[in-house]
Amino acid sequence: MKPLILNGHERTITQIKYNREGDLLFSASKDNKPNVWYSLNGERLGTFNGHQGAVWCIDVDWTTTKFMSGGGDNSCKIWDCATGKETGNIVTQSPVRSCLFSYSANMAVYTTDKAMKQPCEIFIIDVRTIDDSFSKQEPILRIPISGSRVSSILWDNLDETLISGHENGEIIQWDLKTGKKLNSITEHSQLINDMQWNKDCTMFITASKDHTAKLFDAQKLMLLKTYKTERPVNSAAISPIAEHVVLGGGQEAMEVTTTSTRAGKFDSRFFHLVFEEEFGRVKGHFGPINSVAFHPDGKSYASGGEDGYVRVHNLDSSYFDYNFDY
Amino acid sequence: MPATDYSPAMEEVKSSWADEVELEGGALPPPTEVVENGLKIVTEYKFNDDDKKVKIIRTYKIEKRIVSKSIALRKTWKKFGESAGDKFGPNPATTIVGEDVYMQFISSKEEDMKPEDEGIEKLKGLGDKNVVKCRTCGNDHWTTKCPWKDTVLADDKKPPMAAGAAGGSEPSKPGGSKYVPPSLRDGGAKRSDGANMGKRDDNYCAIRIANLSGSTTDIDLEELVKPFGPIHKLYLAKDKQTGLCKGFAYIHFKFKADAANAITLLNGYGYDHLILQVDWSKPVNNQ
Repeated sequence: MKPLILNGHERTITQIKYNREGDLLFSASKDNKPNVWYSLNGERLGTFNGHQGAVWCIDVDWTTTKFMSGGGDNSCKIWDCATGKETGNIVTQSPVRSCLFSYSANMAVYTTDKAMKQPCEIFIIDVRTIDDSFSKQEPILRIPISGSRVSSILWDNLDETLISGHENGEIIQWDLKTGKKLNSITEHSQLINDMQWNKDCTMFITASKDHTAKLFDAQKLMLLKTYKTERPVNSAAISPIAEHVVLGGGQEAMEVTTTSTRAGKFDSRFFHLVFEEEFGRVKGHFGPINSVAFHPDGKSYASGGEDGYVRVHNLDSSYFDYNFDY
Repeated sequence: MPATDYSPAMEEVKSSWADEVELEGGALPPPTEVVENGLKIVTEYKFNDDDKKVKIIRTYKIEKRIVSKSIALRKTWKKFGESAGDKFGPNPATTIVGEDVYMQFISSKEEDMKPEDEGIEKLKGLGDKNVVKCRTCGNDHWTTKCPWKDTVLADDKKPPMAAGAAGGSEPSKPGGSKYVPPSLRDGGAKRSDGANMGKRDDNYCAIRIANLSGSTTDIDLEELVKPFGPIHKLYLAKDKQTGLCKGFAYIHFKFKADAANAITLLNGYGYDHLILQVDWSKPVNNQ
């Protein structure tokens, strides 16, 4: 397969995300401009100019009309997808680490870092109308986090609960009506970099710095599978059509310059969902992979790396013909 | 609704001398864009790092796809931000077609290693318990500690064991530091081996088929001799370089009767424009 290399960022990619239909691919990096691309031919539709610092997280609502980004410049912004105009801006007290539209896109969540004497907090906001009053509105719910900070978050249960992944490897389920902890589980020993749903939102996969990715049942918050590697996992995604997961990772960015590319092992790794066995690798990046995403049709996937490139891979027949031996 | 896409398939072509002669004026000719039978060909000229004129031809395949309305609508969106000035189609500055990469499939080699280690660990964990096997009764204790040691069972089994032990200890005698080929090691065992060999020869009766044609393959040969009965081994002599048949083959039948049958029927049989010669396979160096 010939990957499309999207070279629109000047710094490392932090997150990539497809929209619901998969025709657009959004990418964010530590430079201050999230980009949006046509996933089919790699044509850049535009850039969202307005952030002043690294963009840590992005999300797009399910109708692909609103785009949200949060960054290190203490702001969470809402954009119009079609024009790239900033429509809403929320100023926060500390950097925004993760942001996500709810399933219905009536609400959104963003979390802030524990920094500048501010505690880590989860904010739920109403995003139905984005106008001038948006930036002044009070959040629907604030959940201050006393313990380890939130590093990734997911909406669950048709917007009734939230699942947060923490720096110490803990996963907590929150009830939004009361703002209370429902359930918690500590299966990881280190920072959870990324959490992604499977197609029908019954299971989610976590990617952790402790060299593993784990599959959890969402309802009971039960550990189902563990995918072991020998390096930190930065991102993991579940194929919507096959029982495959793809993991992206690599050694820590700060160690990259002191070792050879070969030692870094910067390839995306395909594991069988059920048997937890690795069956394929795709090379390409020359830095750790920070974010992976499957196209909603399962026929291609994209990875964004520390090298600043997004690579869109159209999976070829050898992948689809491959039968896992068991 | 149809939406138009440009799939980039770029190629860079250095200008030929003919192009350069044409351009001797110095200025670069304007870029051209031709759309013909589903391909958009964009030709551009520019100076490369060595101040040489370079002609770049990019060929795009125009694809029409039927997509949902919302996707088609998004395809018509105007570019914004840094891409506002870009033309329709991918901008080569931001979109590059990468080199071919392949998914490297991993056979369970790595996984195989692990269970093996685990197996060893397990064995270590078990200790001597299951590793030890009594040569007399086959249970898991040392032979010397066998409860059947001085009983009939042991006596029955002893002679072969003793013989084996004697045979094994012979070459390790101090005098035997010189290399002795296995066939010459301790006479008694050899003779018994020889007897076994003879037996084996009787059991698997080898025949030699000669005057085979050069194009004969293993499969042909198998088909030829299969009808006579079960075959133990089949050897077709082939040239090392060409892989062609050298003209003869050995077939080891399981039963002597089958082999004899094969010889009578196949000797003189016309096979692939040649007449076969079939006989018992004779040992090369008869003692």
